[in-house]
Amino acid sequence: METLELVRFVLGALTGHRLRSVLSALGVAIGVAAVVLLTSLGEGTRQYIVRQFSQFGTNLMAINPGKVKTFGFAGAFGGTTQRLTIDDAEALRRVPGVEAVVSATFGQARVEAGDRGRSVYVYGVTHELPAAWTVTVAQGSFLPEMDPHRQGSFAVLGPKVARELFGMASPLGRRVRIGSWSFLVIGVMEAKGQLLGFDIDDVAYIPVATAMSLFNQDQLLEVDVVARSTEAVPGVVSGIKAVLTARHRGEEDFTVTTQTEMLDTFGRIIGIITAAVTAIAGISLFVGAMGILTIMWISVHERTGEIGLLRALGVTERGVQRLFLLEAALLAMTGGVAGVAFGFGVQVLARAFVPGLPLATPVGAVVAALVMSFVVGIAAGVIPARHAAALDPVDALRAE
Amino acid sequence: MRFLDLLAFAAGALRGHRLRTALSVAGVAVGISAVVALTALGEGARRYVVDQFAALGSNLLIVLPGKVETTGGAPFGGVTRDLTLDDFRAIARLPRVRRTAPLAVGEDTVHYLDRGRAVPVLGTTSEFATVRRLEMASGDFLPPGDPEQGGSEIVLGMTVAQELFRSENPLGRIVRVGQWRFRVVGVLAPRGRSLTFNLDDVVLIPVRTAMRVFNRSTLFRILIDVRAHAEMEAAKKDVETLMTERHRAEDVTVITQDALLSAFSSILNALTLALVGIASVSLAVAGVGIMNVMLVSVTERRAEIGLLKALGAADRQVLAAFLAEAVLLASGGGVAGLAVGAGAVRVFVSFYPSFPASPPAWAIAAALALSFAVGVGFGVWPARRATRLDPVAALARR
Repeated sequence: METLELVRFVLGALTGHRLRSVLSALGVAIGVAAVVLLTSLGEGTRQYIVRQFSQFGTNLMAINPGKVKTFGFAGAFGGTTQRLTIDDAEALRRVPGVEAVVSATFGQARVEAGDRGRSVYVYGVTHELPAAWTVTVAQGSFLPEMDPHRQGSFAVLGPKVARELFGMASPLGRRVRIGSWSFLVIGVMEAKGQLLGFDIDDVAYIPVATAMSLFNQDQLLEVDVVARSTEAVPGVVSGIKAVLTARHRGEEDFTVTTQTEMLDTFGRIIGIITAAVTAIAGISLFVGAMGILTIMWISVHERTGEIGLLRALGVTERGVQRLFLLEAALLAMTGGVAGVAFGFGVQVLARAFVPGLPLATPVGAVVAALVMSFVVGIAAGVIPARHAAALDPVDALRAE
Repeated sequence: MRFLDLLAFAAGALRGHRLRTALSVAGVAVGISAVVALTALGEGARRYVVDQFAALGSNLLIVLPGKVETTGGAPFGGVTRDLTLDDFRAIARLPRVRRTAPLAVGEDTVHYLDRGRAVPVLGTTSEFATVRRLEMASGDFLPPGDPEQGGSEIVLGMTVAQELFRSENPLGRIVRVGQWRFRVVGVLAPRGRSLTFNLDDVVLIPVRTAMRVFNRSTLFRILIDVRAHAEMEAAKKDVETLMTERHRAEDVTVITQDALLSAFSSILNALTLALVGIASVSLAVAGVGIMNVMLVSVTERRAEIGLLKALGAADRQVLAAFLAEAVLLASGGGVAGLAVGAGAVRVFVSFYPSFPASPPAWAIAAALALSFAVGVGFGVWPARRATRLDPVAALARR
């Protein structure tokens, strides 16, 4: 049989049982749609997190005291025997490729103005922080450049704190109390929003030395280093390790985390979750395949006479086999295409109703879903097709 | 037609097409077994967490320094007013408090001869063993006494003891933490990971000494064992009032065990439900398959239906006969799926005995109900097609 003739014959068989064909394809379509939707959700989430992190630029790296071991993240409990100091941070300026160094510590405190107060995170930082975190000042200015060991009683507020404490009035030049200290407000930051559940608008910045005495800390909780370019990052990391290890009597008692490493970790975790969820959704593809197998089996039985006639007219066993395989594959592929279309449709609706939902369809997943549906069709068609091909033409004709 | 006749009729029809029946049943079975296995795993994870918390003691209150309004969670980093040993002593005097233990934490390397291991060092008092329900493998826990009094006793976690001493008996030996020397008085019984700390891989020393070793005047946490479970909320209020009074500001966070537990529980439940929801998509697919097979079946048996109607069978009876067939298919799949799912979970548990996974009773009931619903839901339409056949036309076709 010629290919064209083959296709026409199969299409005829499928359209002859329209309802049955539609339902078989529907089974696969549901499965494919589920796979497409879930991979889209996973990919969307990954891109969302990448965007959140790249706000900070890819040249940023963080140094925390302590080695990551039992707790999963370093310095969580303070109390290492070797401390990360402002002098350590300043020493890092000598490392080639380093553009900016920010000594940072943080703590929780109540910021008060007049009779209003708000418990927030207070960051002790140095003047280069806006460049390192790519945040900008909306009003006034950031902390001035000065000796990081010197204390100073001025503060820069996040927009949310400023709004909560001063309402619509300008906070510039007003005073806030943090603990038992009084600070002059010299700036308000631009709104930046949340980072993975942490609200960077709800913080206050003060000079690092002041924060250390305010919080009674004897070491920094973090040093942020900005490399001149992304390519310079690996060199800077090894430079940092060399300088700090030398300063800490040969012990590497700190952890350097680059932005890319952090992204990789998150990407991997989300990838694993997406794969697991997609695999669960893939079960429905398997069930859909069983539906096709059932219908093809019925179809072979119903058309025993037809098969006998085809064989009597000289169609080979392989020809008959191809016929039924093609029928199964066509069913599944139709389902696959419909499923992809349905998946996209649902995404358009979801975007319209839930604008914040992170959705991005990876092209690879769509192709994979279509290939999967083809494979599903062929796999489901093999048994019925072989059964049909193995029929004896004489017996088959007599069955009519 | 009586109910039994109905079932026999439907079963007979199904037996006539054995392979077709088997495939339809298998479709539902795959879906149901996925649902059952996933709920079992989810429930196992939930119970694992609950057990972990129960091991902490259900009357536990945790006091930590700091309070943050935006996140509402446990604050980290520095605070303006720290928790001190004085705070701890004041809390110990509260009437609703049975026992309380301070906790100062640092990390350092513990040395014995030439072997060393970097571990969390917990500074606490003798009460810690009771509050956290710790048991000893050998020796004793830290001796009781005034918390202001330091001491050179040290208790090792099981892993630390094995790593440092191998087969030697550590009791009475001297180990070093930083520049300080300690005498081993006891080894903790293996306990495994307990949410925050792996208690096998820590060492415990007197709280005052720990504060000196790590050069700090502040506590990391204060653990409180409340007298009666019913008084948890009242005790929490007591502690908050006391600390507000002492610090002249509301600057500590008090966490109850129940709050933590319900937070974890609801997260895990939501996760399980989401996964089960995704898995039940396959049930919808299986339902479509059953609908398809039933439609074929109705078409094939036009003549039979015509005969039934000609013999006076009411529409309702024909509908019931075909619905019964669909429900039998789906419920058969439900039972088979339940067996396969439960079996898979059993195999999983035999490999990971510490994970208490088993399908909860409600999930079993829900799976069976669901498979029944699939049969009815996807069987109605084909069955109605059967009832709408005109008996004369159906018979004439033959």
